[in-house]
Amino acid sequence: MTQEKFYYDNKIVKLFAYATLFWGIVGMLVGLLAAAQIAFPSLNFGLSFTTFGRVRPLHTNAIIFAFTGNAIFTGAYYSMQRLLKTRMFSDTLSKVNFWGWQIIILLAAITLLSGITTSKEYAELEWPIDILIAIVWVSFGWNMIGTLIKRRVQHIYVAIWFFLASFVAVAVLHIGNSIEIPVSMFKSYTVYAGVQDAVVQWWYGHNAVAFFLTTPFLGIMYYFLPKAANRPVYSYRLSIVHFWSLIFIYMWAGPHHLLYQALPDWAQTLGVIFSIMLLAPSWGGMMNGLLTLRGAWDRVRDSAILKFFVVGVTAYGMSTFEGPMLSLKTVNALSHFTDWTIAHVHIGGMGWNGFMTFGMLYWLIPRLFNTKLHSEKAANMHFWIGTFGMLLYSVPLYWAAFTQTLMWKEFTDSGFLAYPDFLDTVTQIMPMYITRTLGGLFYFAGAVMMIPNIVKTVKSGHIINNEEAYAPPREKVAKKRIAGETPHRWIERKAVHFTVWVLIAIIIGGLVEIIPMITVKSNIPTIEAVKPYTPLELEGRDIYIREGCYTCHSQVVRPFRSETERYGEYSKQGEFVYDHPYQWGSKRTGPDLARSGYRGGTMFRPAIWHYEHFLNPQKTFEKSIMPAYPWFYENVLDRSDLKRKIEVMITLGVPYDGAEPDYNYVNENGEVDINKVEEAYKSQAEEIAKELQDMGKDITWDKEIIAMIAYLHKLGKDISLAKLAEKKANEPKNEVVENNNGEVSLDAGATIFSSNCAACHGQKGEGGMGPNLGDKFTIHGATNEAIKNVISNGAGIMPPYKKFTETELANLVAYTSSLIGTNPANGKDPEGDEIK
Amino acid sequence: MENKNTDPKEVYTEYNEKFDKKLMIDHDYDGIKELDNPPPPWLMWLFYFTVIWSVWYLAWFHWFDMGRLQEADYAHELEEAAEKYKVTAMDEETINILTAEEDLNRGSEIYKKSCVACHGDAGQGGIGPNLKDADWIYGSEIKDVFGVIKNGTDKGMTSFKSLGDEDILKVSSYVLKKL
Repeated sequence: MTQEKFYYDNKIVKLFAYATLFWGIVGMLVGLLAAAQIAFPSLNFGLSFTTFGRVRPLHTNAIIFAFTGNAIFTGAYYSMQRLLKTRMFSDTLSKVNFWGWQIIILLAAITLLSGITTSKEYAELEWPIDILIAIVWVSFGWNMIGTLIKRRVQHIYVAIWFFLASFVAVAVLHIGNSIEIPVSMFKSYTVYAGVQDAVVQWWYGHNAVAFFLTTPFLGIMYYFLPKAANRPVYSYRLSIVHFWSLIFIYMWAGPHHLLYQALPDWAQTLGVIFSIMLLAPSWGGMMNGLLTLRGAWDRVRDSAILKFFVVGVTAYGMSTFEGPMLSLKTVNALSHFTDWTIAHVHIGGMGWNGFMTFGMLYWLIPRLFNTKLHSEKAANMHFWIGTFGMLLYSVPLYWAAFTQTLMWKEFTDSGFLAYPDFLDTVTQIMPMYITRTLGGLFYFAGAVMMIPNIVKTVKSGHIINNEEAYAPPREKVAKKRIAGETPHRWIERKAVHFTVWVLIAIIIGGLVEIIPMITVKSNIPTIEAVKPYTPLELEGRDIYIREGCYTCHSQVVRPFRSETERYGEYSKQGEFVYDHPYQWGSKRTGPDLARSGYRGGTMFRPAIWHYEHFLNPQKTFEKSIMPAYPWFYENVLDRSDLKRKIEVMITLGVPYDGAEPDYNYVNENGEVDINKVEEAYKSQAEEIAKELQDMGKDITWDKEIIAMIAYLHKLGKDISLAKLAEKKANEPKNEVVENNNGEVSLDAGATIFSSNCAACHGQKGEGGMGPNLGDKFTIHGATNEAIKNVISNGAGIMPPYKKFTETELANLVAYTSSLIGTNPANGKDPEGDEIK
Repeated sequence: MENKNTDPKEVYTEYNEKFDKKLMIDHDYDGIKELDNPPPPWLMWLFYFTVIWSVWYLAWFHWFDMGRLQEADYAHELEEAAEKYKVTAMDEETINILTAEEDLNRGSEIYKKSCVACHGDAGQGGIGPNLKDADWIYGSEIKDVFGVIKNGTDKGMTSFKSLGDEDILKVSSYVLKKL
């Protein structure tokens, strides 16, 4: 057979390998900082750029997309050319892939630290970068499929099945999850609301783990492990079975991230059972890897590369066993929101992704440079330090998680929370947080040791950028199945067919779960009381997103007595219909905030409390590990996008267009009226600022802290007010009301006034915390109707008093009205308009 | 050591002798060969078991309605708690102020942890009102103070019901007696 001559592109592999090393070090360093910040909050440095809420997403993105992303490309570009016996389809696409990816990483680092984020975990990057990712990713896929088409080999090898599935699935997931409407260059709102957003997000988030951290690394394993071990792959049939079952089942398992949260039961059940069914297919990969080493185990003792692979594959097996277990609802009830999840992902990340990458690089670099590894001993040292670091990182976190979750759930003998103070459960695990930081340091030190070893290896050799290779051309074979050919063997030589089957396999799970969530009304029962955010609250919410508060605080109360006692009523689907994006979070380093605006609840804190707390959390609670946010007090909130934000929200179905009269921000032409928006913003902000000023704080209404307080006071507010109203409606009607027929008693009114109103308005209505009621000025109107309205519905910081019977209210209104013009002594300065 | 490129043909010689029959002749990818081993049977059984378990799980909860789903489970938990703890729930109207030194000491501990941030270390007030003076916005009876701590108020006082009735009574007594 004639041999064709061609050249492997080694240069692109080298570039990706260097990028992997560089970003690996950066990503781990950022991780180390994040871990240290939890142990020592002063390391947040009081700067917006360096607070945990921004550092943590940078760490996850840097490790997932920069470190392992470049590792995937390194492995794929090296192995695909050799497995398909051809150069990559297009050098231009290879370069677009490389440089595009590095630009994305750079932009990610800048934007995430600047607080430009969508807050969707592992998809935090804003829309322009999302588009860039899609372009670069498609150029990778295009390059891959082009290479497949011009291949010289008849059948495509299992490693490439996995690379293909990764490309197809990540493209679908990334695009599906990133559908958002831009507000500005740096801000967008996702089209999905609340529960839908949660389902789409974890369909993405879970499968980013599947198709970015798992399948490409199985591809890497299937090439580099048999190569390094010089052993044939244990079972071809196992490859087929576990490949298809894995990619099909993975896509259904996303809802296990939302167990016991405000998600319909059927979706939770699907999340549970598909996670359980995922166990065997995942272990198929581990077993095929470990059994391939049969006959090579003696060499594991000496070879650092094989050690990395063995521990990497074993770590994969451990996390894929732990994953299904964590998806059982009883286990999840304990594990979710704790450091258990963090330990779990680091077994996967440090063990599987990290060690497979290190093993691959130690094998690959000497071959690229036609030399031997500079020091096998140093590589072995790296392995042992890394393994020790991984254990020292994860074991304390498991311990911390068990400790904390048991403390959260413990009741006293009389049935009350044993640790009502959330902070106690944090203080308890601080030693574990310190130890795991040390573990991270060891793991990092191992990776740092790798650098001089690689540099010296590179220096001792010489790379051939375009390596000569020979292979016979691909034989033309009948398109149809040949006699004796298994169906799978048949599609292995039909790359496009194969790709289509992969697409079908991965798309089903997502469609079955997401479409009903969006189209079937009963999945998200409406709650009448739930109202949209005011412009001020919306801006406050965007600050919450900007600062990455979701990295430490959840906003969803699960239906457990230990949570409803601590936080208040559990969360319902209908509460989140105006949330673009949802903010449930996935970790409780601090307490849940879903009820921080629940009037009369355990989580409600007055504005002044938040004011002091954000400024210096350690002053409020000495042992708190929350960072301070001093810039909230200096920054004037940038309202330049406010109009556009309201417009986008209207497009997304939020009733700012008059459907909710109290939230009507449009003019008669149906366009957003910026004056209405600004007026609503300012009047609400001024009330909060006033309250703070009255307590002696020097703050103006336009600062960020005001919006933040307004937002926190919105969470759970609507349903708490509805509860109070319902309570009042259920109280037996006072018989006297009807008999009295409009007659009022000023004496009775005075009594009510003295016990309910005097604390804020003074015994004679002279004012205090509240305005003077005895002068001839009014803020909200002086008619009986207006007074009645203010009492019943509240105004500004004045809470609504819905507890009065009709008679009581009438008496109180009459008495209040009678105060006007009495000009009591020591009267507060007039506020509002003069009464004519 | 593992660093020289080896010719794949040589590598398999020894192995081929042992597993000759299992080597798939036409499977050669850049020197990587594949064996025709079946998947480990225990792994396949594990897979079948998880599938059967899943069907059972689905049927148990959604077709036969045998299991308690989220809301039913919560209701059940509440019932159980009501049963278990019913003796100790306190009636606000009939509670009496505590005077025993140990109760007041416990009250003081709780005060230091939960109340100081707003009411000051000596009850002088701050974020929240002064607790030392004779003015009581919500009343000065033990039941009033107890109620305020337990249920919070409309003006911003947080509900501390998660402290538990006994501790609330102790801290209420401490506030009234000692501040």
